[in-house]
Amino acid sequence: MVMAANKPRSGSFSRNFGAASSSVPSIPGLKHGPNGTMLLSSGIPDLDKILGGGLALGSLVVVTEDPEAPHHMLLLRNFMSQGLVHRQPLIYASPASDPRGFLGTLPSPMVSKDEKSRVHETEQEKGLRIAWQYKKYIGEHTSESHRGGKSEYCNDFDLRKPLERHFFSGKQIDCVSLKESADLGAFHERCSSFLSQANQNNGNITGGRIAIQSLCSPQCEYSNREWEMLSFVRSLKSVVRLSNAVAVVTFSPSLVSTTFSIRLQHLADTLVSVKAIPDEDKELAKLLTGYQDMVGLLSVHKVARFNTQVPAILETTTFSMKLQKRRSLVLECINQAPVDGATGSSYGSSGSCSGSSKTGSFDF
Amino acid sequence: MAEWICRTLRDGGLEGEHAPALTINHTITCSLGFFVFDHILSQLSSFIHSQKSQSSGIVLVAFSRSPLYYEQLLKSKGYNVSASTWFKVLDCYTDPLGWKSKLANSGRIANDSLGSSVTVKLCKNDLDELFSLILHRGKELSVDGKGRFMVAIDSVSEMLRHASVSSVASLLSELRSHGQVSSLFWLIHSDLHETRATAALEYISSMKATVAVQPMDGLSGNSASLSLMQNNLKRGKFSVHVKCRNGLVKTMVEELNVENSTINFTPFSTEGEVISQSLVPKVQFNLQLSEKERNDRAKVVLPFEHQGDGKNIQIYDGRKSLNESKGDSEQTCFEKEDSGRGEIIYFHDSDDEMPDSDEDPDDDLDI
Repeated sequence: MVMAANKPRSGSFSRNFGAASSSVPSIPGLKHGPNGTMLLSSGIPDLDKILGGGLALGSLVVVTEDPEAPHHMLLLRNFMSQGLVHRQPLIYASPASDPRGFLGTLPSPMVSKDEKSRVHETEQEKGLRIAWQYKKYIGEHTSESHRGGKSEYCNDFDLRKPLERHFFSGKQIDCVSLKESADLGAFHERCSSFLSQANQNNGNITGGRIAIQSLCSPQCEYSNREWEMLSFVRSLKSVVRLSNAVAVVTFSPSLVSTTFSIRLQHLADTLVSVKAIPDEDKELAKLLTGYQDMVGLLSVHKVARFNTQVPAILETTTFSMKLQKRRSLVLECINQAPVDGATGSSYGSSGSCSGSSKTGSFDF
Repeated sequence: MAEWICRTLRDGGLEGEHAPALTINHTITCSLGFFVFDHILSQLSSFIHSQKSQSSGIVLVAFSRSPLYYEQLLKSKGYNVSASTWFKVLDCYTDPLGWKSKLANSGRIANDSLGSSVTVKLCKNDLDELFSLILHRGKELSVDGKGRFMVAIDSVSEMLRHASVSSVASLLSELRSHGQVSSLFWLIHSDLHETRATAALEYISSMKATVAVQPMDGLSGNSASLSLMQNNLKRGKFSVHVKCRNGLVKTMVEELNVENSTINFTPFSTEGEVISQSLVPKVQFNLQLSEKERNDRAKVVLPFEHQGDGKNIQIYDGRKSLNESKGDSEQTCFEKEDSGRGEIIYFHDSDDEMPDSDEDPDDDLDI
């Protein structure tokens, strides 16, 4: 069912983007977003489309994890790889003792001959013009990005191939182990100095990336001091807002109290959650088409909107995560059979696979 | 399915991956967790003994039961452990806070150690020593000190009593990521801790096994409660949640029976719970009718003369008497008005006359 606002609002006045983009030379990895913002790519083409072009510079992205599945790592990997491909400064923090090891699992951009199969798909979609007329506007945008030059805004990443060595040679890659830092103050200092360094980069905007994985992980000593973690995220958000960087923080709501989880979700500019799905579940196989290829579910609860009071209303909030040919991550709208009864709930409630939560359904 | 778990633990993790870790939840309602722990321990011992596994041994950290108990357990299964090279026990049961050594130092009692186990003192908030001891014993198990070994922790609840959640979690995750540990499993009394502690342990582990009460049907009265208790001591529902490598979650359920200290797992007879309904967003409309809705729809009386069931329904038109019309419909009838006042004479289907299509109705006007 198509909701009422399925197209981005466009009045009879249209912004003259031509003049704006010619004054600033096009920077690889950044593009102009709505309302005078600059966007950088999340590394997943489908997610960029859903979020309206990408992640806005200065925003804080919070990803709520599902403790039973490592899907947040997929999102982080693509995010970090995209930053390295575009030579954007990156700082990565995780609770492991040796976070550098994670860099070895970053995916490499896909080679060009695979791109042709993607363009073919968009052309096939044009055959459904009558049924899905509004999609032809979206189809034009994707074909534009594919015809781009060597440096694309968003790469399709091959999760099977590790990132080549030469991308790691930049000086601005920093790894921090959250376990070693007894309190978050030292880590915050490091983030601030990283951001000021990224801003000073010869006056050019490159866009920095901060990736913090599993902030509330139980191995860290500060993990039972919730107010400390909350004030860290709040001050991180304020520092990031004044800079040309995007921060992605992941945490698992099962490890912290509900109030903390809700407060942290309110702090986010963009809020995404990932969910695991049970393996070989006959009920789900009946409800969803394409269940066999799915590895998880991704929900977008909030999209960052700067310099405007108009909220972003998405067609759907829940997407299925699939690995196309086990290589690249694609997000698709889920096609499901109608179920009776509609009980809405807030995004704070978590319906995990193992728990029997009665309020675990999503806004639609 | 319990076999599946044992095989997964036996095979261990791939290189570069974290070792599989199993949490066994022991609850007060169905206290069969210990039996499960013993069963898994003996299964893994048999794998190692018959050299089917790539691990060279097991290091057991005993908190809640004496090392002698384990020696006897394995002896009853046929494995001699007193001079063993593949089974080491770290004894944290006898003297966790190190009182004996303190007393021995002050000369009060003699310090005696047990057999193949090493007495370990558990310092508060400092599990690093335990970690290095585990690694040390593990290295002793293989010839060159580089073989992989499995770690079993008797009861993490005891550890949580003396140390903080974050240090226990850090110990377990370090064990998991250590190259020489091929797999590990532990038991926890989930009733004793806050949800935060159990959630943290489940976050770290890759498999979670729970023994729940097996529902019994159709009994009532006092005899029921006693037999229920007896029932819970011997039978249970064993369910396992596994986090697969590809990100999917596998759930398996089996029935558990304990008889004379031997344990049997049988496939579950009834269908599993439906958990998928909560994951997918509920759509706002329903195109199917439920049974009740269909019945109600069939009962609706339509305002037509012919209802399609062969009878003609007489619609009350004010002409007929009350008696005749009551027999046909159940509706309440109005009183017939006095005929002197005036009537509306209505003939059924009398407006079938064709309207004056040829004439122009405006012809009446004299303009």
